[in-house]
Amino acid sequence: MDLIYLILATLTFGGGFALAVASLRREEGRRHGLGIPLAVVGLVFQLLFLRERGALHGRCPITSGAEVLVFVSWSIVVFYLILGRAFRLSLLGVFSMPIVFLLQVIAIGLLLFSDPGARPPARLDVWLEMHASTSLLAYGAFGLAGIAGVMYLVQDRQLKSRQLGRLFYSMPPIRYLMSALERLLWIGSLLLTVGIVAAFWMDVRPNATHLFIYGFVWLVYIALIIVHALRQLVSRRFALYVIGAFVIALVSLSALSL
Amino acid sequence: MSIFCIGVNYKTTRIEVRERLAISEHSVPAHLDTICNLKGVNEAVVLSTCNRVEIYGGGEDPVVALDSLQAYLESYFQVRSGEVDFYRHQQEAAANHLFEVAGGLDSMVLGETEIFGQVKKAYMIAQKVGSTARQMNKLFQQSFTVGKLVRSNTSIQQGSTSVGSAAVDLAEKIFGSLEGCSVMIIGAGEMSRVTAQSLVSRGARSIIVSNRSYDKAAELAAELNGEAVRFDDWESKLDFVDIVISSTAAPHTVVQAFPIRRAMARRRGRSLFLIDIAVPRDIEDGVNVLDNVYLYNIDQLQQIASEGKARRERQLVICREVIAAFLREKGIDALAPLPPDRARHQDTEQNRTDSPGSGQPLTEP
Repeated sequence: MDLIYLILATLTFGGGFALAVASLRREEGRRHGLGIPLAVVGLVFQLLFLRERGALHGRCPITSGAEVLVFVSWSIVVFYLILGRAFRLSLLGVFSMPIVFLLQVIAIGLLLFSDPGARPPARLDVWLEMHASTSLLAYGAFGLAGIAGVMYLVQDRQLKSRQLGRLFYSMPPIRYLMSALERLLWIGSLLLTVGIVAAFWMDVRPNATHLFIYGFVWLVYIALIIVHALRQLVSRRFALYVIGAFVIALVSLSALSL
Repeated sequence: MSIFCIGVNYKTTRIEVRERLAISEHSVPAHLDTICNLKGVNEAVVLSTCNRVEIYGGGEDPVVALDSLQAYLESYFQVRSGEVDFYRHQQEAAANHLFEVAGGLDSMVLGETEIFGQVKKAYMIAQKVGSTARQMNKLFQQSFTVGKLVRSNTSIQQGSTSVGSAAVDLAEKIFGSLEGCSVMIIGAGEMSRVTAQSLVSRGARSIIVSNRSYDKAAELAAELNGEAVRFDDWESKLDFVDIVISSTAAPHTVVQAFPIRRAMARRRGRSLFLIDIAVPRDIEDGVNVLDNVYLYNIDQLQQIASEGKARRERQLVICREVIAAFLREKGIDALAPLPPDRARHQDTEQNRTDSPGSGQPLTEP
């Protein structure tokens, strides 16, 4: 059943993306207003998947690569639903959905071909759960920051080239994008800090490799925040580095899942 | 019982004639009073703007009503019979016309929103005077719904249609809300004034005006409630402004890349939008490659405006489909009056719910 929920969530996000692209390509006629409802439906399926897996393991379902990917996808959607609307960045959903779709397709592949099955814990460790969940939530925030970075570059390019395509009128102002990007980096870094600190209270000694990877990602983002705060990076390059940082975070995620 | 409409607009009548027929807001109640006593007219609404003068009405016999309305207009405004080419619509055609007007499809600038407020105001005046009953109430309520439908279901409002609006739209795509944005004008020409006014109308503040002739700068600054600076000093203000409009008559480049580059280093990442509406151009084209600097010249703004116009023209067909679908669904029958005793009761109810500010259809889109 868990796999079915995941496939349904993936199809919902894939469908949402296809609908959004079709709507943007079509110059005339109404824009479909299904972005938010579809994201909510996809989120519900993700939650059902995570609930099933949680019941299987008897703890937070982040025990395998597939679950980690779904957890990160889920947090991207949550941040989009909470912050996308608050920052008036409705189109963030259009850019988020293909990432979420892709991450979940990989998760489906992993579940189909290398699902390790139930992994009941010896004893429930609250700090371990907190460490894992806040760290992955941080990855969600970083993911959405990377997506906002892509949107910034797209909008900046349109403005610079003076080629105002159909997308231009649907995109948010670049100042709002930059502001969302900065806030998401702060949120992600704070969550990751909490995740790393929680690791030191775990019953078992934190895995040195894991801690090193989390620490490295944390350092990358803190460095970005500081350099940006000191205005040592122009906005375009900053957006580019935020995208790069998320790629690094994703690669590190695969190392963590091994 | 039918609905009908008679009028002239910018498409059918020259401005010299339209200004003779214009009905000022304060004289509308008196006209409505007279119109409702004309043969065949039971209720009426007068819509008079700079682009149109129209009378919408309801009555038993539309032909009789339209004839008496035309005769009234010709006699009151002293135009010879046949001198003015009035258009006359009845039933669906009249409803369709009002819906197109409310949707901005009949406006000089396609899709503009001001007309929606003007239609609302015309209806409110008529309602206040008591010249509307069930048919006009229903018709105008529906026109508000259609106006809203057209704007929310199509892209008729999307894209700029003039150099000024293109500049404003671009500024909003860079800064978001223009509230708090400061503008510097270099060269106190007419185009600068118009563009700056467009920005101010959308919330921009702190206008700085610089011109070779300081007196002209001071004059424009006073008009825009801004500050005049000497021409030699404009560079020092670059650190504090968000938008620069340049329109000098200089035969050479006035704004070079170097001072902009220097100012950008001090601006700590804040974007700068440069609008060059001078010919020959005032701003060195190379500044556009600088990070966070966006430069548009008059040709590029005009191109955006013509693309916007073309985009809106293409939307016309879709908008008309929306109106046709609405008319098909609701039908003109919905506008037909009830028997007199029921109608009176409903009018009271309608007037209660239709009072300005109440009810969803009266909301601005």
